[in-house]
Amino acid sequence: MTPRQRRVAVVSPQTRLAMVRRRTGIRVDVPHLAPTDVERARGVYRAQLRRALAALAVLAVLIVGLPVVLALFPGLDGVRFAGVPVSWLAVAVLPYAVLVPLAWWQLRRAERVERPSGRAVRGDRHPTAAVRTGRP
Amino acid sequence: MIGVAIVLVVLATLLIGARGVAAMRSTSDFLVASRRISPTLNAAAVSGEYLSAASFLGVAGLVVKDGVGALWYPVGFTAGYIAMLALVAAPMRRTGALTVPDFAEARLGSPGLRKLSAVVVLVIATLYLVPQFKAAGLVLTVVSGTPYWVGVVVAGVAVSITLALGGMRAATYVQAFQFGLKLLLFVVPALWLVLTVGADTRREALSPVEFTRFERTTPVEFRLDTRLTITEPTPVSLSGAPVELLGQGSYAAVAGSTWTFAEGADVPDVAGAVPPGGEDWSRPLLDPAGGHPLLATWSVLVATVLGTMGLPHIIVRFHTSADGRGARRTAAITVAMLSGFYLFPAVYGLLGAVLLPELYLAGGTDTVVVALPARVDGGWVGEVFTAMLGAGAFAAFLATSLGLLLALSGAISHDLLPGTTLRRLRSTTLGAAACVVVLALPAVNLDVGVLVTSAFAVAASTFCPLLVLGIWWPRLTARGAVVGVVVGLVSSAGSVAIDLLLGLSPGLASILLGQPALWSVPLAFLTMVVVSLRGRPPAWATAAMLRLHLDESGPGRDR
Repeated sequence: MTPRQRRVAVVSPQTRLAMVRRRTGIRVDVPHLAPTDVERARGVYRAQLRRALAALAVLAVLIVGLPVVLALFPGLDGVRFAGVPVSWLAVAVLPYAVLVPLAWWQLRRAERVERPSGRAVRGDRHPTAAVRTGRP
Repeated sequence: MIGVAIVLVVLATLLIGARGVAAMRSTSDFLVASRRISPTLNAAAVSGEYLSAASFLGVAGLVVKDGVGALWYPVGFTAGYIAMLALVAAPMRRTGALTVPDFAEARLGSPGLRKLSAVVVLVIATLYLVPQFKAAGLVLTVVSGTPYWVGVVVAGVAVSITLALGGMRAATYVQAFQFGLKLLLFVVPALWLVLTVGADTRREALSPVEFTRFERTTPVEFRLDTRLTITEPTPVSLSGAPVELLGQGSYAAVAGSTWTFAEGADVPDVAGAVPPGGEDWSRPLLDPAGGHPLLATWSVLVATVLGTMGLPHIIVRFHTSADGRGARRTAAITVAMLSGFYLFPAVYGLLGAVLLPELYLAGGTDTVVVALPARVDGGWVGEVFTAMLGAGAFAAFLATSLGLLLALSGAISHDLLPGTTLRRLRSTTLGAAACVVVLALPAVNLDVGVLVTSAFAVAASTFCPLLVLGIWWPRLTARGAVVGVVVGLVSSAGSVAIDLLLGLSPGLASILLGQPALWSVPLAFLTMVVVSLRGRPPAWATAAMLRLHLDESGPGRDR
């Protein structure tokens, strides 16, 4: 560190933005996209939306369906696995055994939409085609 | 001993904060530090910030009080990150917005919506903070025997000192450390308890019988004014007086009094409470006695799953990811980390129902985690484990409260008041801490887990539709967002307030008012969509939405 270096107040980006905006009173940027990017973004958006909805559907089956099963079959309270009522395991352990793989699955699929397109687009004039081939 | 343990937790927090700051030499180091933090470390930080006193103490307490169905709470707390992962994490990171008010302005360009969102942050953070302080006060009360208000004030002072000494600098490292600490301090005592209690207690915990008779001479220290119904003559000693035989009838136990029930005495009934171990208690659904178990379970799940994405202290954490991909990975790893932690509240809850069922009479079920070691082992070993759990609970309180207080004061000084200075940010934080202490004093009779869930319900009814529609629906207008957030806020926070004021007995009305998410979330979504469809979004709205989905690896991005 040189002795002549000036001291700088370090603030969070949020604070910095708030201060800039207050001084100038205008929006920092108006959102825009290059025309080629718009096409690619549309492809990615649709692909991601489909994948997100699929993951949420699985989640909904778990958290809507499992309580229904437990309500309809009170007999599960009496069935035991390793000494523990099966219906207790269904709340205390089963959901986590579903959630962790579900997170992993959704993560891999969401990343697959991006990874090949990011690499291929540099030399490719048809980004949506790259998105399409990016799927297995 | 517990005092020493808590001081150690605070000191370790400060030390790591100081080391993290020392590791960064220059301004640019500080600003780009985020780019070097791996998703795993960041996920540990998210989990560290997220695992609050409600998770550490509240869930096990609710299991003793309400039954096995309370284990649905942590399922919702974890599943929220699936919704976050699928819908919000990556696009939110790409906006560059640190908070929902930032997001509102970045996506919809509306300063009014920014202010409104800041108000919602205030409501959510307050609802979330009050139970944290209540839990901290309660822990200090249990382990040191001081009155409740002393505990709350001490907790407030501890938070203020940590803030003043800069304990939250290098926050990612601090929070990641806090997660490791909490996991250790929760899992090790749980394993010790399971091994120590003996085969008989383990078997009883898995095949509970209804708590109808005191198995030993049991002192019950009432924390609230409680109405007891005694159905057969019961030998009781009131606050140290000689044993007398109470006849049939209704009795009022004053808060703070101690009733010592003799061995073999009949357990009195408490209005509106389910005795632990009974058939209703053992059903794995919420509110089994109220007649609407499915409705009750679903409303908690909807609130927690959809509310997670709107928690102000969690959203900030995702900004520390390098990019959208990093944020997404962080969310996925967080699911795994939380799943590990949430396997254990059941251990405390089930053992507590067998070993300390009398807590449900006293209104002290939130203390069950901390009270268990002393019940199992009266010697120094039990004391060591009590200290470990007390310190863990305090760490949980500290991590979440600091994050929330910073989010709260950020909302006040960035979004609501003009002219930000750093000094004012600091004084706002201390002022907010003082306000929360005052609010926590009368909150002693509220369940930590339940109050936290109402914060989730407000988040789910306001920020969830704003974020989801803002990220995935190009036609959302600023006007639609404003009206939708107002409707969501008024319906969720309003009905929770009405429920608190009326104090309804269990039933349909109590579920719909106390846990409003099941109807208030669809209502907010619907309002936002209908109002938006009646207006026109600005020309740049589609671009503003689409660019949130464009990954950073592609060309043509301007940052």
